Amino acid sequence: MSDLEGTTTARPSRARFVAATVIAVLLFGILAGRLFQLQVVDGALYAAQAAAARTIEMPIPAPRGLIFDRQGRPIAVNIPAWTLYGRPADLPATKSARNAVLAQAARLSGVALGSLLDRLAAFRGSPFELVPLATGIGREAALLIAEEEEQLPGISVGAEARREYLDETGARSGELLAHLVGYTGPISQAEFEDRSAVGYLRDDVTGRDGVEASFEKELRGTYGSELIERDAGGQPVKVLERLIDPVPGANLMLTIDARTQRIATETLKWGLEAAGVAQGVTIVMNPQTGEILAMVSLPTYDNDKFAAGISAADYAAYLDDPTRPLRNHAIADIYPPGSTFKLVTGLAALDEGVTTIAQRWPTYGCYQIPDASAGQCLFDWNHQGFGPLSIVDAYAKSSDTFFYQMAVALGVDRLGGWAQELGFGEKSGVRLPTEAAGTVVSKAWAHAQGRQDVFTGELAQAGIGQNAIAVTPLQLLNAYAAVANGGHLMRPMIVRGEADGEGNLTRKYAPELIRRLNASPGDLRTMRIGAREVITSGHATNIGALRVPGALSGKTGTAEFGTPTSQGVLPFHSWFVAYVPSQAGTTDAELAIVTFTYSAVVRGNVSLEVVKYFLQEYFNLDQDLRREFQVNAN
Amino acid sequence: MSTTATFVEARTARRWRAFDWQLLLYLLLLVGFGMVMGYSANYQAIGGDSGLSQTVKTLIWTSIGLTLFFVAASIDYHWLQTFATPIYLVVLGLLLATVVIGRNLFGAQMSISVAGVDFQFSEISKVLMVVVLAAFLASRRERIGRLSTIVGAGLLVALPTFLVYRQPDLGTAMVFVAILLGMLFMSGAGIGWLSLLGGATVAVAPIAVTALEDYQRQRLFCFLDPSADPQGACYQVVQALNAVGSGGLLGQGLTAGRQNQLGFLPVQSTDFIFTVVAEELGYIGGMILLALFALLIWRVVSVGWGARDPFGANIATGLGSLLLFQITVNIGMVTGIMPVTGIPLPFITYGGSSMISLLFGMGLLQSVRVHSWKPTF
Repeated sequence: MSDLEGTTTARPSRARFVAATVIAVLLFGILAGRLFQLQVVDGALYAAQAAAARTIEMPIPAPRGLIFDRQGRPIAVNIPAWTLYGRPADLPATKSARNAVLAQAARLSGVALGSLLDRLAAFRGSPFELVPLATGIGREAALLIAEEEEQLPGISVGAEARREYLDETGARSGELLAHLVGYTGPISQAEFEDRSAVGYLRDDVTGRDGVEASFEKELRGTYGSELIERDAGGQPVKVLERLIDPVPGANLMLTIDARTQRIATETLKWGLEAAGVAQGVTIVMNPQTGEILAMVSLPTYDNDKFAAGISAADYAAYLDDPTRPLRNHAIADIYPPGSTFKLVTGLAALDEGVTTIAQRWPTYGCYQIPDASAGQCLFDWNHQGFGPLSIVDAYAKSSDTFFYQMAVALGVDRLGGWAQELGFGEKSGVRLPTEAAGTVVSKAWAHAQGRQDVFTGELAQAGIGQNAIAVTPLQLLNAYAAVANGGHLMRPMIVRGEADGEGNLTRKYAPELIRRLNASPGDLRTMRIGAREVITSGHATNIGALRVPGALSGKTGTAEFGTPTSQGVLPFHSWFVAYVPSQAGTTDAELAIVTFTYSAVVRGNVSLEVVKYFLQEYFNLDQDLRREFQVNAN
Repeated sequence: MSTTATFVEARTARRWRAFDWQLLLYLLLLVGFGMVMGYSANYQAIGGDSGLSQTVKTLIWTSIGLTLFFVAASIDYHWLQTFATPIYLVVLGLLLATVVIGRNLFGAQMSISVAGVDFQFSEISKVLMVVVLAAFLASRRERIGRLSTIVGAGLLVALPTFLVYRQPDLGTAMVFVAILLGMLFMSGAGIGWLSLLGGATVAVAPIAVTALEDYQRQRLFCFLDPSADPQGACYQVVQALNAVGSGGLLGQGLTAGRQNQLGFLPVQSTDFIFTVVAEELGYIGGMILLALFALLIWRVVSVGWGARDPFGANIATGLGSLLLFQITVNIGMVTGIMPVTGIPLPFITYGGSSMISLLFGMGLLQSVRVHSWKPTF
């Protein structure tokens, strides 16, 4: 048997077997050693690396603070809203399949496909991020899409909080307080880049306009974070641990009384409609504290539209409207104050000793400008003149020529200085965005016109709030409030303090004094007496019959502006500013109001009628003393 | 007649006394281990194959493989020696067919589909090439030390190696070369010539590398520095290392490996199955698997040592080389000390072709054992 013989020689050499065994043992030893190193020695290190690679710190948005009015009525609340998201990495790779998915998503959500594609194309982040494609889609649509998510790779819906704005009755209405409250909207790419360091997310919202913008920091709160485990595709799988608890934003209580705001809005609307004009402002304030009780700028806009995600057409309509509904005319625009500015000129003249309270000055039908050639004169509104007048009478009758003389006697520096003392020419510092500073007469103003100095005629006109003087309605009201309260120029307040979730004040913000006016109490009192005289014997006696609880005091104003009509008549704004002390001249007024109507070219002072109507409603008076306007045909 | 029959029966019974029950035991343990790991690797609920359907498939393949194992064991392996040439032609035919009509799997043509079932002919061709080489080397018994032996064996292997390399299946090509070197060494080829061949292989390696596709080359070098491209080509290596390391001493528990369950190991049930073992069963689990492999190889070596003729011994050394190489390279790859090449972990990696081919090969080994038994009348 040859094969039996072979048994001894079939074996490979012993040496090679030993060598092979040594190699095998060595290889297994290396593998075992490597495993020991990876798993036992460095195991914790790799475990940490692995954990870091599959976990991510995700922000937990803090609920945005609510906003209440001063009575605790909720006016900005959070409601759930549904957003349509796309994750670029999960969308189909081919263009046709991708568009089919997006078209289906557009159909289900009721959003135009083009808008989804635009949002997707505009996105600049990682393809693993969720891109908000459409906000504020309906609940039904959201549920429908959620059901079909299997057929819609890369598409998802998420619920998050959005703002809803309410009126004084609790009804959803964004027009009453739009300029004050503002709205929230998605942050822009540039804002994200600026603020990502302080915790803003790419799809975050931020306050726009109003308190939503100016109190963004307080309302936003502090976002928390949690550690999320993700699968290899980047989808969150579970929450591992809460790292930082989110701190909810502060609930704010406005100084605004929504009911007062409503009255101010409706009475102003009436006046504007009756006069056939579009733009007007009413501001109501507590002169003692500077708290703004109402601030109406018409026309207004609907901030709830913005909160829900405004359509391009609606937004364009707001932008194209020549009356500029998106602007808060109460603070963002400046106008000549007209005769209401005589308060400043009068106070300055008294305090600078230009006149005494008893001194009587001649008045004219037309005031000859001192250093101008003969015949160059400035008319009084009363072309006959009033004869000699003391300052109180001149203020009550609103004599222009009296105050031309005061202004010329004061000079540019002193008149301008007093205007600044009363808060003109600088922002009041109310915590609302877009406030304007205004203009006061000064040499610098003349330089800006390319001249060495202010013309004397301009100086005289500045004395009656024309030409080189431009103010915001809020500045004017605040100046009157400072005189009304005995000389404290207060910082206008829009937020009263912080509140609990039910609208109870928990932390009061202290009123802030800008400065004590550098005017003697007596001179201030003289101007208050003058303002009372306006109502009782002067220019605005028709409002005097209102049985308001106190000694209504105030001043009318008519301010020409722009270019003359073909008849040589300038269009004009009308002003009325008033406050209600307990008695004539006292400093205890708790209500001050200004109304401004833009280009209200009618017979009669529209603003005066609006304030009259407001007071009737505000004090619930059983009187209706409103007058009809004759709407001028020119 | 009855005496003859009784004699035959007795002889057969005695022969089967030589049957290596330990070999079978280790195989069954390994296959079972693989099934459990495959189940865990596919455990995750989200979409795709459920773990169970893969387990069922593995059970079917194992049944086919074990049937082939017993068939091969009961046939006298000497038969194969006479069929060496046709077997070689079959190997070439299968590999050629794969190149021509093969279908894409991870970017490479590695399998052809028959009646919906994918066959990776490269797997069976590894085992068949062991037989072919065993026969060739046995026939060169008297001239084993000559250069012509090495050249002849090299040429025999070169053709199929080239074909799998063209698929491109770098892994299988490397296995062919490993089998060649292992069998030459164990069959007594001249150590000088062999060193020269080994040196030449090392010298040619860079050329082979330059001929690779970009993605293959990148993957190949990840083991040197996985942080080079952790999101791209080296993603698998980085994630595999994280998974293996995360296992620690005792592991995270079956079906509880986070890297595995969250899909960070893209081909976790195939070539990267060991990462699941390491992550979920820890160092201990990995060592148990290594121990099973060591025992298996010990059995293979002992069959080779006890073989009656060079052909049988060569089959054992060839299969031993195959197993040792695949185990080392696969585990070395997932532990970051070997380049990433598509080499399955024997009996553990999910896949019918590998399972059936290897069980058939182990059947041949068993046949060598059974038919080398010396009756002690």
